[in-house]
Amino acid sequence: MTTTGLQERFQTLMEEHKKILYKVCHSYCRVPDARDDLAQEISVQLWRAFPKFDGRVRFSTWMYRIALNVAISFYRRESTKDRFVILSDQLLLDAVDPAASQPEEVRLLYDFIADLDPLNKALVLLYLDGNDYREIAAVLGISEANVATKISRLKTKMKQEFRRSEQ
Amino acid sequence: MIELDELKQKWAEYDAKLDLNIQLTRQLLTAKHMNRAQWALRRMALFLMVEGAITLAVIMVLGEFTGNHIETWRFFVPAAFLNLFQIALLVVLGQQIRIAMQIDYSEPIAVIQKQLTLLRLLSLRSTQWTFLLAPLLWTPLLIVGLKGLLHLDAYQVLGTSVLLCNLAVGLAIIPVALWLAKRFSGSMSRSPIMQRFVRGLAGYNLNEATRFLETLTEFENSRV
Repeated sequence: MTTTGLQERFQTLMEEHKKILYKVCHSYCRVPDARDDLAQEISVQLWRAFPKFDGRVRFSTWMYRIALNVAISFYRRESTKDRFVILSDQLLLDAVDPAASQPEEVRLLYDFIADLDPLNKALVLLYLDGNDYREIAAVLGISEANVATKISRLKTKMKQEFRRSEQ
Repeated sequence: MIELDELKQKWAEYDAKLDLNIQLTRQLLTAKHMNRAQWALRRMALFLMVEGAITLAVIMVLGEFTGNHIETWRFFVPAAFLNLFQIALLVVLGQQIRIAMQIDYSEPIAVIQKQLTLLRLLSLRSTQWTFLLAPLLWTPLLIVGLKGLLHLDAYQVLGTSVLLCNLAVGLAIIPVALWLAKRFSGSMSRSPIMQRFVRGLAGYNLNEATRFLETLTEFENSRV
């Protein structure tokens, strides 16, 4: 495939799956400027790996893996100087509706996700996005039984946290 | 009482609206922009290769010096010590390059995060050891440098006692440097680079990376 063809296919798939990019960035980064840096860094890694994408797994699975791997590394990195950002003033992702207009429940979920460690953030995000246990296990690289156990624990943790905040 | 599954429903409703709410700047997803951004990644690989080439050149020069002084112990021992140090550095660098080349972000998260953490551990350990051993390298470097570059015998020019004294000071500096790094790592907030370096020297970054590796292992294996 020519570079132009590859680029067009990449842009189309990214457009179709832009929600994944948006949600991963919002879950791992609460500072708007850094969030766009993260979105750009994920896109660069996706573009870099794209020629090797052979369709053996769904595009969304492949995209989740790359996006979450980059986001976890980004989240853990101390320095900001090594970020692989695209040299541009433009934002890669722009929310027409600001995050402040998110429904209360969605904001609560983002708050809950913000308090989790980077690995459990990935797990909750995949669960909320409606992926089944098999899909989640494939993205995370753990067994389905382990996914079920962790989801159950997270549900309990969430109940406890809300109970505590209500008191 | 709010349940995760109830909120999941709200999340899905919001998700359906997201397509209209977010815009993606397609211009930034062109090959031209992406390839320019990839330069940072290539620059890192290039930097490692240059470092490897320089280390290899130093090993070869030191190897020749060591070979030429195989029967003169007072030159052979410091040169061999420096050479072993450089070889160890090259081995660690080679391992770093090997792990870095294996990293494929499209692999499962547990696998890639483990590889990335191992790479970080290796890099932190080599930096820590390099800086801790640096005071010990000064004396052999002086002996080999004077002989190799100026054909001077450091034992005669400076005297054996001065050289031994240098070595002893170098040894004493190691625990002092460790203590200072631990003592002042928290008070370097004005310079993030310095803070990162001092934390690395004190072993705090190493502990952090080890803890994350443990979290990863637990994440992979834990069951009720």
